[in-house]
Amino acid sequence: MANTVHRRAFCLLASAFCLAGAPAFETSALAQDSSIRLGIVAPMSGPNARYGAFSLRGAQLAAKDINAAGGIDGRKIQVFSADSQGTPVEGVSATRRLIDQDKVDFLIGDVSSSVTLAMQPVVEDAGVLLINAASSNPKITYAAGVGGFKWSFRNYPTDENRALIVAQYAAEKRGFTKFAVLSVDSDYGRSAIEFTKKYLPRFKGQILSEDYYKEGEVDFRSVLAKIRDSGAQAIIMYGLADTTPIVARQMTEVGLAGKVPLIGNGEFNTEKTIKSAPKALEGAVEAAAWLPGWDSPKSKGFVARFTAEYREAPNNHAYVHWETVNLLGKAVEAAKSTDRAKVRDALAKIKYDSAVGEVTFDDHNQAKLPMILLQIEDGKPVVKGAYSADIDYPR
Amino acid sequence: MLFQISEQIVNGIVTGAVYALVAVGMTMIFGVLRAINFAHGEYYMVGTFGAWVAIEYFDLPYPVAIVAGVIATAFVALVIGQFVMRRMVGAPAEAGVLATLGIALILQNSVILLFGGGYKFFEGGYIEPVTILGVSLAEQRLLIIAVAVLVFFGLELLVTYSRMGKAMRAVSQNVECCAVVGIDVRKVVVRTFVLGAALAGLSGVLTAPVNVSVYGGMGELITFKTLPIIIMGGLGNVRGTFFAAMILGIAESLVATYVGLQFRDTVGFATLMLVLMWRPHGLFSAQARY
Amino acid sequence: MSLNESSLPLPGRDLRLPFGLAVVVLACCAPLLLGNYALHAVIISLIFLLPAHGLNLLVGYTGLLSLAQAAFFGVGAYVSALMAVHWGTPFYVNLFGAGLVAGVLALPLGIPALRLRSTSFVMCTLGFVIIGQAVAKNWISLTRGDMGLSAIPKPYFALGPASFAVSGTVGFYYLVLAIAALATFVVWLIVTSPAGRNMVAIRENETLAESVGVPTWRYKLVVFMISATFAGFGGSVYAHYLTVVSPLTFQMSNSTLMLIIVLGGGPGTISGVVFGSLLFVGLSEALRIAPELRMVAYGFCLLALVFWFPKGFAPLITRFWTMLRGRS
Repeated sequence: MANTVHRRAFCLLASAFCLAGAPAFETSALAQDSSIRLGIVAPMSGPNARYGAFSLRGAQLAAKDINAAGGIDGRKIQVFSADSQGTPVEGVSATRRLIDQDKVDFLIGDVSSSVTLAMQPVVEDAGVLLINAASSNPKITYAAGVGGFKWSFRNYPTDENRALIVAQYAAEKRGFTKFAVLSVDSDYGRSAIEFTKKYLPRFKGQILSEDYYKEGEVDFRSVLAKIRDSGAQAIIMYGLADTTPIVARQMTEVGLAGKVPLIGNGEFNTEKTIKSAPKALEGAVEAAAWLPGWDSPKSKGFVARFTAEYREAPNNHAYVHWETVNLLGKAVEAAKSTDRAKVRDALAKIKYDSAVGEVTFDDHNQAKLPMILLQIEDGKPVVKGAYSADIDYPR
Repeated sequence: MLFQISEQIVNGIVTGAVYALVAVGMTMIFGVLRAINFAHGEYYMVGTFGAWVAIEYFDLPYPVAIVAGVIATAFVALVIGQFVMRRMVGAPAEAGVLATLGIALILQNSVILLFGGGYKFFEGGYIEPVTILGVSLAEQRLLIIAVAVLVFFGLELLVTYSRMGKAMRAVSQNVECCAVVGIDVRKVVVRTFVLGAALAGLSGVLTAPVNVSVYGGMGELITFKTLPIIIMGGLGNVRGTFFAAMILGIAESLVATYVGLQFRDTVGFATLMLVLMWRPHGLFSAQARY
Repeated sequence: MSLNESSLPLPGRDLRLPFGLAVVVLACCAPLLLGNYALHAVIISLIFLLPAHGLNLLVGYTGLLSLAQAAFFGVGAYVSALMAVHWGTPFYVNLFGAGLVAGVLALPLGIPALRLRSTSFVMCTLGFVIIGQAVAKNWISLTRGDMGLSAIPKPYFALGPASFAVSGTVGFYYLVLAIAALATFVVWLIVTSPAGRNMVAIRENETLAESVGVPTWRYKLVVFMISATFAGFGGSVYAHYLTVVSPLTFQMSNSTLMLIIVLGGGPGTISGVVFGSLLFVGLSEALRIAPELRMVAYGFCLLALVFWFPKGFAPLITRFWTMLRGRS
């Protein structure tokens, strides 16, 4: 009896060892061609998996189209991806794997700011170029460029810009002064509110109540009833796309729909979300780096191309990753090389025509980008314009 | 002010009813197996997915989807019961923890593998709000409360009078003696397990319309809410679990209103720790099992 | 049970010296043999080895199943990060600070918790993790909440006027290796001392232990504090390695990973836990080759563990050892 158990145990153990040892011997298969090796770090599982899936699709679409058009000076883009699960430790593991196993020269990632912050020192040590395309925490570029990290760039506007633009629009165009906060309990939700608080006094606004929900929260009745009784004129929500329909439905349930709009960010404008509770989302205001409704030929072209490829409309994360891969392509073209240092220098000096306007990087490696603002009117998102704001770097 | 509090108490009862349905299964399984089931919330998720598949892929109406969801959960639970849970009879607590954690990982990630990690939109159910005594509630929530009350009433009858109920009580008292008098302990364990899991699945299907979104990771949150409930309810005590779930639901609702939504998830464990300091065996004595 | 404890002279070849030497040589040469990525996986496993050692004292030797390790791990990570960021103290000061705070904090938490029995105790320790996370999220003035603490400096040592910083994966590997080796040695000292025997006595039969004069309550409390201290050390190293700390450090999955390492490696053995940390962290990384199936496969591995290796891998190691010695 003991013998058979042990034999089985030995087999299992041996196979586990092989599995664990396998990656160590993989390293020899190095590509000798001059392709552009690009790694995407994104949350493929966990609460932000939706964003990760869109991000990867956006990047893959850009790479596919560039390769189909003959590549960058004949160099094809090879995309490798790794799952960060939205947590720093997994993100660092994923980054290390892409750098050491897949030998990538360039990285795009992550969506979550805390993961990006953890990736920065890793790419700095390895000398791999990181272009972040979707993290909005201002600290990322406070610490980049002249701030310290030479290999980190960001092609995405910060929370600070967004908070200012939303607060300004709500106060000046809508005349709101009393706000309730209901945001997601994450670095994104918390820091957006921190900056909102910084700017609200400028517009004589005040916050009556402040609540944060965890990723995956489903019961908002209590907090919505409190907001209803508090007399707030608008709910400032920097939330998750997936939670927006739940909040909107429960707003209808407690009788907030049509009286108190949502303002902030959280994919209020997708067709499905509006359909879930049309009355509650009427008048909602959203600011994002990009929205499918943005009217420019390049943007419309992307929406059509993405929808044709994946039978689903793209979101903001799909767009920014698509645009960032194209941006990297242009930088490689300008550098006339895949040498990391040369591409980095080319990127710092680049003038790139994106779908939302010209992109240039400042001395903190932060792209100067506008925020697009929309409002839901008669169940349809209506773009109200693109606004830019300057970043105040801490001295 | 008084009205606000009473409205929040109603909200708490609705939440408590959902917790109660999930927790009662968990506590019954603990009764016969002496194992903490870290995978219990996953059956809640499986039930919801079952109903979602019925609606999305087969265009079935919601009442049929409820049945489909519960049957799907019972089937999954039967497979797991046969292959895993029945072997857990008499196993040490550590083995139970590891095995149920493993099952939680397998169920959760298999669903993600099959349907993708993103949130799904749950259509169906009775979401129109109705006003009762000035409190506006979705019809679905009334349904949840009604079903919870019916289920508990039925369970009381089951464990008191039916043969299976008596066997369950016997197993929870003394496994060895049951074997002596000819009760098939493993069969009782598997049946209890399937029943408990099916109740969790039912709870998931009933809650899905008001929670709108369906996703692979949703079970984990429910597991963490129900763990303190079953301890407070006095492990294995059905009636105690019902009251503990209601207390927690109401407490969460009041905390979310007067303290802040961000503190809501700590309510369960904070209450549990306070209760345990005062009564180390939970609010409801474990002697009155079932 | 484990090779470290078999101090009785046994018949057959004595392979302890050559085997020990081989392990030391292998550990020192690892950076030459492994790529950077594999080295990173080894670093993570050695970091998790520290709280696992602590948990082993609690679960394996004293018989108390606890899920609180992630809470003390998180406390250690935050203490270390705050000290490094605000005061710029050298690494070893942060390390001891983290261990000390975690260990002292375990006293007021342990007194009520240890009065509880089995399941209630497990839930209470799980509660520490959940409440720890809530504190980390909401005590914004100290922890910066969900925005986390970032830019934690690389560990540096200051000896008088001279100071040097550890940088790069290889440098960090040797640092962690030294800490892990030291921790393993300390655990070995504890379990081979008379105190270790008393702990086992409590695990086997608490009432009997009490009746022969073992102060069981005091023992349990002290072991709980020691295990928290080890978790604090682990948290400190973790913070310096990843350079960011967020409330996600306090999560149930960290506790369960530590528990899997101990139960899977072999509770009540030192070599089993060392092996377990390498195996289970390695397994998690190795399964990245099939990202979609990764967690499902991990779940099946846990089930396999429960059914085929109910005592963890330690009996296998012992068997392998006896085979080597040529006395089967």
